[in-house]
Amino acid sequence: MFKIRFLFFSSLMFILIFSATSTFGKNIPSVIKIGTLYASTGPFAKASESQFKGLKFWVHNVNSKGGVFVKAFKKKIPIKLIAYNDQSSTATAAAMYNQLITQDHANILVADFGSVLTSVAVPLAKEHRRLLFDVTGTGAKFFTPDNPYVVLTSLPTSGRWPYTLADFIIKHKINKIAIIYSSNDFDQSQAITLHNKLRKAGINIVYYNAVPSSTSNYAVLLHSIKAKNPNAVIEFGYPNNDIAFLQNLGSSGLKFNMVFTVFPGQLFKLLKSNVGEQGLAYTYTYPTPPLLRYNKVNLGVGIDEFEHAFKAYSGQSPNFLNVAGYNVGLIIKKTLETANRYNQLSFRKAISKFSGKVFTLNGLFMVNKKGAQIGEMLPIAQFVMKNSKLKMNIVYPEKMQTANAVYPAP
Amino acid sequence: MFEYTVLAGIMYGLYFGLVGIGLNLIFGVMRMINLAHGDFIMLGAFLAYWLFHLFGINPLFVIAISCVVFLFLGIAFYYIFVPRLLKSKDPEMLSFILFFGLSQVIEAIIILSFGNNQRSIPSNTFGHSTFSIFGNRFPISWLIVTIVAIVVFIAVYWYFYHTKLGYATRAIMASRDESLVSGINVNRVSAFAFGIGLILASIAGIFSFFMMGAAYPSMGTNLTVISFAIIVLGSLGNPMGTIIGGLIYGLAIMFMQTYLSSWSNLLPYLLLIAVMLFKPEGLIGKTVRSA
Repeated sequence: MFKIRFLFFSSLMFILIFSATSTFGKNIPSVIKIGTLYASTGPFAKASESQFKGLKFWVHNVNSKGGVFVKAFKKKIPIKLIAYNDQSSTATAAAMYNQLITQDHANILVADFGSVLTSVAVPLAKEHRRLLFDVTGTGAKFFTPDNPYVVLTSLPTSGRWPYTLADFIIKHKINKIAIIYSSNDFDQSQAITLHNKLRKAGINIVYYNAVPSSTSNYAVLLHSIKAKNPNAVIEFGYPNNDIAFLQNLGSSGLKFNMVFTVFPGQLFKLLKSNVGEQGLAYTYTYPTPPLLRYNKVNLGVGIDEFEHAFKAYSGQSPNFLNVAGYNVGLIIKKTLETANRYNQLSFRKAISKFSGKVFTLNGLFMVNKKGAQIGEMLPIAQFVMKNSKLKMNIVYPEKMQTANAVYPAP
Repeated sequence: MFEYTVLAGIMYGLYFGLVGIGLNLIFGVMRMINLAHGDFIMLGAFLAYWLFHLFGINPLFVIAISCVVFLFLGIAFYYIFVPRLLKSKDPEMLSFILFFGLSQVIEAIIILSFGNNQRSIPSNTFGHSTFSIFGNRFPISWLIVTIVAIVVFIAVYWYFYHTKLGYATRAIMASRDESLVSGINVNRVSAFAFGIGLILASIAGIFSFFMMGAAYPSMGTNLTVISFAIIVLGSLGNPMGTIIGGLIYGLAIMFMQTYLSSWSNLLPYLLLIAVMLFKPEGLIGKTVRSA
């Protein structure tokens, strides 16, 4: 009898001691390691650094409050940000992402800016079964049913961006459209969507051509477009492309009834300083925060409060990519607060759980089964001159409209 | 469109002749590829940007300022680096490393000083109007840039063929050792030529806004590659051959943009490979390549 009791209590003690040490000693990390990349040089430097600055600002805020609450451990843990410079090079980025996963053992992986630098992270994250928080890599090809290891946090997948633009063109019965796009995932997927939607609506597309992403002179291209006599010219490019396109358009003496570019709505100050107010006047774009003011939020702070705090932190007014960098931090925080277990698939399940219920300064966060963002919707805005000053009006969709579009442009 | 493309290609090509000519001059004199060439173009662009935005100085007047600044820079760089390099066992190889390092340093300094933002001078700086050739309308800035490029080419030609320094420079380009033996102060002439090479790069930078959109700190690397392609197309070591290289580059880009835009960056480099295979001395060059 004594032997049986002794064995029973010994076993019980062993189980208790083992479970205690495994919970409190081994598995709780002292810091949550977030691994990311940024580019301090190269064509994506400006955008990438802005995004990185937004993420750093979030880490600074969280750590000043003792860290982020991790539900799996029921305690707050500080964040350690590990970041490497990829110099806008996909080759360097691939090596650095690999280092973050295999050497630094980052718990959370955050992609660098844009589709080009995210493209190398997607297969690596999938291979190593590490959830990639994709901030602005909106290329449609990243999101496939067989890959649960990617989540887009800040913008809709680029294939969805032109939905409202297509609706706007169809509704205003603008026929004869020219589409010129840079040959990268981000721009190509937008061009394909717009092309297909307009064709389906019976709209005549008179010019549809790609140019290399490094194109810095559009003079001849603009004349080729003009020769087709379109009513609207849609240019999908990265900031350098948009700047060169709008500059060349301004100096060419050519006029089109409608001109659309992507980045004035995201990097307004940069575009304004490069092409001037006259260069932007009567052009159309996708407006994003902070041009869009989302203050009724249920996660993090509203755009007014963010703007104030970010300015105090960095001395600069935020742009969209600062917002996007901060926003990914909010999604990471919510993920850790929601996930029952501390592993990558639990993180992904947690995201599905709060998807569609979270509204941040960046808009509604909602992802589909493939991890692509479908919550945020990009309206159409037009810059107009009022009292010799540039003003932005939201012209579509009607529920967000602040003014009617000035079409054709004067 | 064909006529427009030809005219645009010529103007664009003349500008790219200006982009490459400084690199070719420095190679001709020193037999070294200045891998920081594109960064000196970027420095010229930033000089023009700041002088325009701080003091309202028209880019045309910045040329005079850049002549002084970059001549001084060139002479200083030459005396600091080149004589030591030439004394080494493998100056050509070491020059690659040196100028690559210099390129990185220049880019880093500009990023630290001014940030990564793209910067521009307004495209209407020379007026809102356009000009017409055979009924084809072009921005007035293109005309100004074309005139500047032609004036620069004439000046370089005049320097080579009508000045004592130019004769000495050509002599060094033909043979550095023989020039030394014949009593030419090789270091002084080479330093001056290095300065002129940087001046030419800076002038290309001053007008880059009107031909290539915005300027930014990392634009130099790509420009060095393009410049290298252009000077090989023309003739490595023969500065005047750069004009031909530039024209081929400009016309190739514009024709590709018009008729096969998605491949527009490919043709100049295919031409480069073709030249390397079938006429390695360049389209108008003598067999001068030794590095």
